[in-house]
Amino acid sequence: MAGVTLRGVRKSFGRIEVIHGVDLEVADGEFVAFVGPSGCGKSTLLRLIAGLEEPSGGDLSIGGQRVNDRPPAARGIAMVFQSYALYPHMTAYDNMAFGLTLSRTDKGTIAERVRAAARLLQIEDLLDRKPRDLSGGQRQRVAIGRAIVREPQVFLFDEPLSNLDAGLRVQMRLEIAKLKADLRATMIYVTHDQVEAMTLADRIVVLNAGRVEQVGTPLELYHRPRNRFVAGFIGSPAMNFLDVVSEGRADGSVRVWLPGGVPLDIAVDGAAPRAGTPLTLGVRPEHVGLADGGAGLVATILAVERLGGETHCHAALEDGQRLLVRLDGDRPVSAGERLRLNLRGETAHLFGPDGQRL
Amino acid sequence: MDPKRMIGRIAFGLLVLGIVVWAVFPFAWAIITSLKAGSALFTVEAWPSQPSLANYAAIFKEQPFGRNILNSLLAASAVVALSLGLAVLAAYALGRVRFCGRGLLLFVVLGVSMFPQVAVLSGLFELVRWLGLYNRIGSLVLSYLIFTLPFTVWVLTTFMRELPKELEEAAMVDGAGPFVIVTRVFLPLMGPALAATGLLAFIAAWNEFLFALTFTLTDDARTVPVAIALMSGASQYELPWGQIMAASVVVTVPLIGLVLLFQRRIVSGLTAGAVKG
Repeated sequence: MAGVTLRGVRKSFGRIEVIHGVDLEVADGEFVAFVGPSGCGKSTLLRLIAGLEEPSGGDLSIGGQRVNDRPPAARGIAMVFQSYALYPHMTAYDNMAFGLTLSRTDKGTIAERVRAAARLLQIEDLLDRKPRDLSGGQRQRVAIGRAIVREPQVFLFDEPLSNLDAGLRVQMRLEIAKLKADLRATMIYVTHDQVEAMTLADRIVVLNAGRVEQVGTPLELYHRPRNRFVAGFIGSPAMNFLDVVSEGRADGSVRVWLPGGVPLDIAVDGAAPRAGTPLTLGVRPEHVGLADGGAGLVATILAVERLGGETHCHAALEDGQRLLVRLDGDRPVSAGERLRLNLRGETAHLFGPDGQRL
Repeated sequence: MDPKRMIGRIAFGLLVLGIVVWAVFPFAWAIITSLKAGSALFTVEAWPSQPSLANYAAIFKEQPFGRNILNSLLAASAVVALSLGLAVLAAYALGRVRFCGRGLLLFVVLGVSMFPQVAVLSGLFELVRWLGLYNRIGSLVLSYLIFTLPFTVWVLTTFMRELPKELEEAAMVDGAGPFVIVTRVFLPLMGPALAATGLLAFIAAWNEFLFALTFTLTDDARTVPVAIALMSGASQYELPWGQIMAASVVVTVPLIGLVLLFQRRIVSGLTAGAVKG
């Protein structure tokens, strides 16, 4: 087992640089998820680690060994592809055994390892079937089995569940969680589904436009996003952002004025912005409460979306800024109604003009 | 059924009939003629009154036709094997490896196939003589590659490009080098393309006339088309039509058999289930 270290890794395609110097340390046995919008470079980063792309700069090491110049097979990695990439003309057994056959492992060991992996994934009955006779979920299991059989130091998953339908995806997610506990191997998992990242990962790497925006545990990212991008990307429904103006510092916190003349004090770490600086207030829809008394932020409901368990209210503040509020499932609200909202300083985030958290 | 539709149906039927007759008549005529003997050749009838296989016996007895068939078979098989083998390797490079001048190279390959055979004939003749292949099967194999390779390379390159990239990458992660990828991952998936292009190459080589005529001298070295064309009767003034037709039928049947044999392979979608679901 081994960790993965990236030092200033860059990648250009022609003149276009898509990975701008990534530094990252993945500990031995850790499950790390790469998330980000499409085109952010998360798959490219994974392919660089796999050796399917050559870095244009920087160092990449696996288990303390520099692997820049090693082919994929010599890096101690195994990869599970989004499209499964099973060999169509081979049975599930042969698919899983192919890598070992190529490395001239003796037949007995191959059979043993394939059976063990098949038992773990519960596909023992499917071993003599060809990929076309398997369902999507079964194919994905065979693909994962092919990775397990190689006994890699690091597992790489490239959006492995995105081709499955919703129900199967939840099921496979649980199985991957179980696999993570059983195998105790280092795993790097690329996904655009933040639920997968939040539930599976020990740490999440948020990427945007080829840069690492933040690395942290799922709850760190949720509670203390480092910048506006991470704040907006993590959490569903997405965080609300309101334009506010700083009024200066008071007792380790910054006071801002909300539309309608409501003050809000928010604790900050950094230096206080000067009074009058335009700031962005971030507040998650689930952290917007309804005010009990007459005071509070006044908002008019524009549209109501009922999901059964919860209700999403799209509302407009007095100055026209939009806000999404998440309420209980059965709350009797309707479009056109006026709400009095209550924001709390502890659950609000303040971002400076450069988008960084204050 | 309303009359308009009726007329349409009939017209369509006639059209189909016309196409079938156009395609089948020459071959049917060859069969009929091959079964006739002597002066019966010159009477027009749908089926010979006294069908005989004498012409078939004669082509093998009076001519070295068995030997000619063997020559054709050897030449065509060697051409198919060589052109598919070379084309698969070329297709991997041209379809999968990014290198400078790839497009130009593909264009040149295509350009080569545009020269008329006559244009390269004398040059090739010198080459064949220099290699000591004159009046041997080798000369034909060499010269047939000129027109089979360009289209096998093109078709297989196109096919190879369509194969999912992930398959190659999965094989790379599994530790396969380019040669293993080509032979053990791609080749089994290219069955339909190989069958189709191999068959076309076989037919082209089987039917080739000009090179075969030029590069062979003796009856023993001739291939089927040349042998048929040069078939002579008892005297200079007699063309053995019956035997020529019998020979034509004999060499056409294997081709039809091959097409029927491979048609399933050609249409089967072997990549079904490779990726996604």
